[in-house]
Amino acid sequence: MITTAQDEINLYVFAVRAALGDLPESLRDELLEDLPEHLAEVAADGEGSLTDRLGSPEAYAADLRMSAGFVGGFPDPPGRTDQFKEMRDVALARLRVADVRLGPLFGAERASEFLVQLRPAWWVLRGYLAAMVLAWMLDDSGQPIGLLPRIGGSEAVALLLLAAGVLGSIWLGRRSVRLTHWPQLALYAGSVILVLVALGGFLSADSSSRGAPYADVNYENSNPYGNIEDLFVYDEQGRLVQNARIFDQNGAPLRLGNAYCYDDSGNYTEVQTLTYPYCAERDPFRAPTATASATAGEASGAPGANGPGPVPPMEDGSGVSPSVRPSPSPSATSPSVSPSAR
Amino acid sequence: MDTTQLLKGVLDLACLAALRDEDGYGYDILRRLRTAGLTEVGDASVYGTLRRLFNAGLLTTYVVPSDEGPHRKYYALNPAGRAELQRSGKVWHGFASTMDDLLRERETA
Repeated sequence: MITTAQDEINLYVFAVRAALGDLPESLRDELLEDLPEHLAEVAADGEGSLTDRLGSPEAYAADLRMSAGFVGGFPDPPGRTDQFKEMRDVALARLRVADVRLGPLFGAERASEFLVQLRPAWWVLRGYLAAMVLAWMLDDSGQPIGLLPRIGGSEAVALLLLAAGVLGSIWLGRRSVRLTHWPQLALYAGSVILVLVALGGFLSADSSSRGAPYADVNYENSNPYGNIEDLFVYDEQGRLVQNARIFDQNGAPLRLGNAYCYDDSGNYTEVQTLTYPYCAERDPFRAPTATASATAGEASGAPGANGPGPVPPMEDGSGVSPSVRPSPSPSATSPSVSPSAR
Repeated sequence: MDTTQLLKGVLDLACLAALRDEDGYGYDILRRLRTAGLTEVGDASVYGTLRRLFNAGLLTTYVVPSDEGPHRKYYALNPAGRAELQRSGKVWHGFASTMDDLLRERETA
């Protein structure tokens, strides 16, 4: 049941404190202030459990109550804290009852005995959390930290920090029982903050692992067509092709851009058909003089003047010119050679 | 007759006396008392008594770090404690001799 001497002492002090539950909190704190150290001396000096050597914690508390008396323990001056303390004492008394009732569930006399056994696990977790918080505060690399306390994305630093955090936390945990009132309160407060931070971290890790397909996938950077709004197709002569339809190798229509237009005066028009360009007025190669009323006829009537120029060269040279498809052979310009293509 | 009942009345004096020649920490004082023959003195009683004497202003304390264990709180008699030891010691001697006389009378009677 009992893992270490320190745990045994903690349990014993806890039980003595519980048995003195009716005393004012301040008196009880003062009375038990040195008890852990004292019991450590007792434990270090001989064999046998504390209960064997000192009797039950309840009997110990009774002796203590009688011998310590109430000297110096004048009733606390009435104040606002009294009510708070009273409420806390009532809550603590209820907790003790629940503690004993829940004990069998954990196979122990009290549920708190089981929790005390879990303490080292909490120390390790606390060390990890402290390392994470430290990394989070010190890391300014802008990279996501992940689940290890990385600083500047370094795994080595992460492992070092993790080891330091865990060992430090264990060391602190083994010492914590000897701390005086205020350092102990500070430790508790720090632990509460760590738990809150951990809850926050857990929730965000949970939601990012659940919502992975939606989380921060940056289409802007990964997809070169992400910022395309409209598509303009030009023929060999540099004439804008109106009402073009584009397909992939499977015959599936390609859907690019936003199917709406703003004309020059800012009016919004929803585009009904899936043909490109959606907004012919926004032809990037139109002549400066062309207006929104420019028609396809006018645009095609001035080849080269306001088009991109004949046959834009393909960057890799292996591309197929848009004009090839209607031709039966690649060398459509020379009909005399075509019989070989049949 | 139960010695623990008797101890209750004299534990203050016993603790003060145990500190007369040398300062000591709680468990140390307990051992002195037991070595001196008060074998039934309880740990909690000594701990509680020391706290009470300290609160009553008869003892001073100081902490000594220990290499192998937790730090130790040493108790020492202050002038008020020495005065109390002397006064209570007289009371005890008077009481004890009265009891001795009483017992002797009964035995010889």
